[in-house]
Amino acid sequence: MIPKDLCERVLGVAVSTGADYAELFAENTLNHTIEMVGGKVDAINDNVIAGAAIRVYKGLRSVMASTVDTSEAGLLKCARRVADALGEGKAEIAIHLSERVLANIHPVLDAPSSVANVRKVDILRAASGAAKEYNGAVRQVTGTFLDVDHNILIASTDGVYAQDRQIRTRLVIRAVAEINGQTQTGSCSPGRRMGMEMFDGVIDPVAVGKEAARHAVIMAGAGYCPAGVMPVAIENGFGGVIFHEACGHSLEASSVAYNASQFCGKLGQKIASEKVTAIDDGTIPNAWGSINIDDEGTPSRKRVLIEKGVLKTYMIDKFNGRRMGMESTASSRRQSYSYTPTSRMTNTYIAAGEDRNEDIIASIEYGLYAKKMGGGSVNPVTGEFNFAVDEGYIVRNGRICEPVRGASLVGKGSEIIQKIDMVGTDLDMGQGMCGSSSGSIPTNVGQPLIRVSSITVGGR
Amino acid sequence: MDFNEFKKCVAEEAKALGIADFELYYTCGESTELEAFGHEINGFTSSVEGGVSLRCALNGKMGYASTQALSEAEARALVRRAAENAATLESEEPALFVEGGQIYEEHPAPSYPLPDAAQLKKTLLEIQEKLLAADPMVLDNSQSYAASGTESVAIFNSRGLDVSVSAGIASFHVAPIVGNGEEMSNDYEFKLGDPAKIDFDQLIAKAVTGAKNKLGGTVPATGAMPVVFSPEAMSSLLGTFSSAFSSEMAQKGLSALRDKEGQVVAAPNVTLVDDPFFEGIAMPMPFDAEGSPTHKKNVIEKGKLLTLLYNLQTASKAGKTTTGNAAKAGYASKVGVRPFVMYLEPGTLSEDELLEKAGSGVYINMLGGLHAGANPISGDFSLQSGGFLIENGKKTSPIKSFTVAGNFFAMLSAIRDIASNLEPPRGGGATGFTSPSVLVDGLTVAGK
Repeated sequence: MIPKDLCERVLGVAVSTGADYAELFAENTLNHTIEMVGGKVDAINDNVIAGAAIRVYKGLRSVMASTVDTSEAGLLKCARRVADALGEGKAEIAIHLSERVLANIHPVLDAPSSVANVRKVDILRAASGAAKEYNGAVRQVTGTFLDVDHNILIASTDGVYAQDRQIRTRLVIRAVAEINGQTQTGSCSPGRRMGMEMFDGVIDPVAVGKEAARHAVIMAGAGYCPAGVMPVAIENGFGGVIFHEACGHSLEASSVAYNASQFCGKLGQKIASEKVTAIDDGTIPNAWGSINIDDEGTPSRKRVLIEKGVLKTYMIDKFNGRRMGMESTASSRRQSYSYTPTSRMTNTYIAAGEDRNEDIIASIEYGLYAKKMGGGSVNPVTGEFNFAVDEGYIVRNGRICEPVRGASLVGKGSEIIQKIDMVGTDLDMGQGMCGSSSGSIPTNVGQPLIRVSSITVGGR
Repeated sequence: MDFNEFKKCVAEEAKALGIADFELYYTCGESTELEAFGHEINGFTSSVEGGVSLRCALNGKMGYASTQALSEAEARALVRRAAENAATLESEEPALFVEGGQIYEEHPAPSYPLPDAAQLKKTLLEIQEKLLAADPMVLDNSQSYAASGTESVAIFNSRGLDVSVSAGIASFHVAPIVGNGEEMSNDYEFKLGDPAKIDFDQLIAKAVTGAKNKLGGTVPATGAMPVVFSPEAMSSLLGTFSSAFSSEMAQKGLSALRDKEGQVVAAPNVTLVDDPFFEGIAMPMPFDAEGSPTHKKNVIEKGKLLTLLYNLQTASKAGKTTTGNAAKAGYASKVGVRPFVMYLEPGTLSEDELLEKAGSGVYINMLGGLHAGANPISGDFSLQSGGFLIENGKKTSPIKSFTVAGNFFAMLSAIRDIASNLEPPRGGGATGFTSPSVLVDGLTVAGK
């Protein structure tokens, strides 16, 4: 991409009015999606995102400008815009970049960006067909094959000159089922930081189609979830969205640095039940939320956020770290160059505990078993969160009974993480796209089966 | 390379590959955004964004490819990628383009001098000082934001269509955090337009009151009860379920309103309108994403579904004419269907009179998790809510941490009354949703 000597010159212009840090982020990304509706290829979209952003800091102030013109003249002009916006002053720092060649801990064997459409269509067709054939109640099946080839370069005045190629692939199948006039949907959408090899033994397209259809059919036959406060067992995999929303966002420096989080000033204190150990780890090989470097060029790492209930660290980027007086934890992420990066999650999960699944269910006299979770959101200032239960079952006398639909769970993060009183052993992850101020980024959520002793279930 | 040179390269390459019909859709946005924290501007972002999307017809199929890189090599690669994509398509939808020479309604965008970076900085610092001094409960980590920029859209095709529109937009956003020593809460307010004509004191007072009202909120009891949705809450519900009015979703079997045109789908007091020229919208659009002329239309009139929304392709499939609702979520998206400004026509009661009519129940002015807790296909929703109790026909104490659940399509028939307080949509750009306050029966509140 952009040679080192040009980066040095661009950064030189950026700091020419007195900035104490400058960074160049350049990107070339190919996004490719194939949509299938009712077994036929309905739409194909491919889009090249190409551009650069230059950011400078002076103390606790930051200035960023972005451009689609990545020629030498374009980059120098962009650097000048940044320097002018910062104000008058003179250059105070020298720039020496040293190339950092990082071990690629997420190797990709078969890049989807160089594969003909027909191979992807075959996978979609297999998954979509399996969903349609699952059961006569399945009325419609739609699918998406999505692959991203995201190439980034980061150069900064603290010497970083690093590149990463982040390839990810995802298969999304949605089924619509109708039983006695009641229409419901089901979905399954696994993804990895991998290429086409994801379909050789990791993800089986037929199983993805069947799972989406199973989910839709179960829900089309389900009654409404009752409303009230009750114990809830939340299944592993995407169930980990509870920690992501109830706690994860409030541990991001983007809230903590501005004293706008329920967990400000709580380092070293017990904030969760001692059953809870929570981790954010960007180094899990080929996981959906993994990265080799973050978007400020810091090598990815594993962070223990909460250990046996005690808060150990926040997730911090370089800029917000200044305000907090703390080092980056390699948590800076952005959707693309046109977003200002900030601290975000990668693969975030509650670590496996020691409770047996059957004991967790058996402990509930009357409550909800949330087998499949949907997305959610949170207000980090108050900690009030919500998330949807996409597939739930009533638990009576320690047994899983009839399926229920239309439930959501709401509460306050700082209270709910105290109420996680049982944690199972079978950790698994689920894939999501997390939206926040720096855009939409791939993140994993995860956990084993857990029990929340009491939470408000929104139903009717 | 500029867009005109890029057009030429694309046309040459299309000709070389034997592609007779193609279209380029181009967007460009320039913006300056400032963020205030404490007593200074702590963030400044200047961006130039945009891209171009090519659609071309090959053997009757519509291939797409898009890029941000405007160069000769990229122009040629773009045509080849779109052609390969067209060859893979299997749907039997015709590839249609709008002919040149259409007649468009003229509704100029609101025009005012756009503040430059220096003016924006001065205005924002004044807003921030007012915000921090607005109330003793406002905490010093409250923030405010200002932005100014231009947006433009152009469509050019091989059938003689060559249209463009642009608008300049300034926006201001205040985000107070308030505290009483025991708990914190927050809110935000947002306003578009000429900063010389915006009453920032009023904007700040509204946001601060909103944040203070959430302190000390209690959890309401569980049960079925009358619900009054505020304009903001009802607008977000409309937006969440608006895909049901898309003919594209209906044709794909993904809308509960398929085959319901001409039928009663709502209470007789419900009229739902789509208007690209809604008074006060930042960017009135005379043409849709295919270049067809746009116009105002009733989607539901007195409870009856008059029409779904169509683009050229879905209209052709249904044997109808387009309603001028072709839309793209971004320059690179496939052309789909979307309303411009969709709103519920106001009734005659004030909000206070509506509350009186409700008697007792809940007033909801915050809905959370709409992307997850609402299913636009089935209509079911169960959503995190905030607001006030309604007792003896009046808003009383604040309530939070509860949910409201129901089905949107059933709710349309259970709207008891609609207030008169209709305002322009809150967002910028060419699209949005807005509504007066509405009183609805048959929903369930889950609290304690």
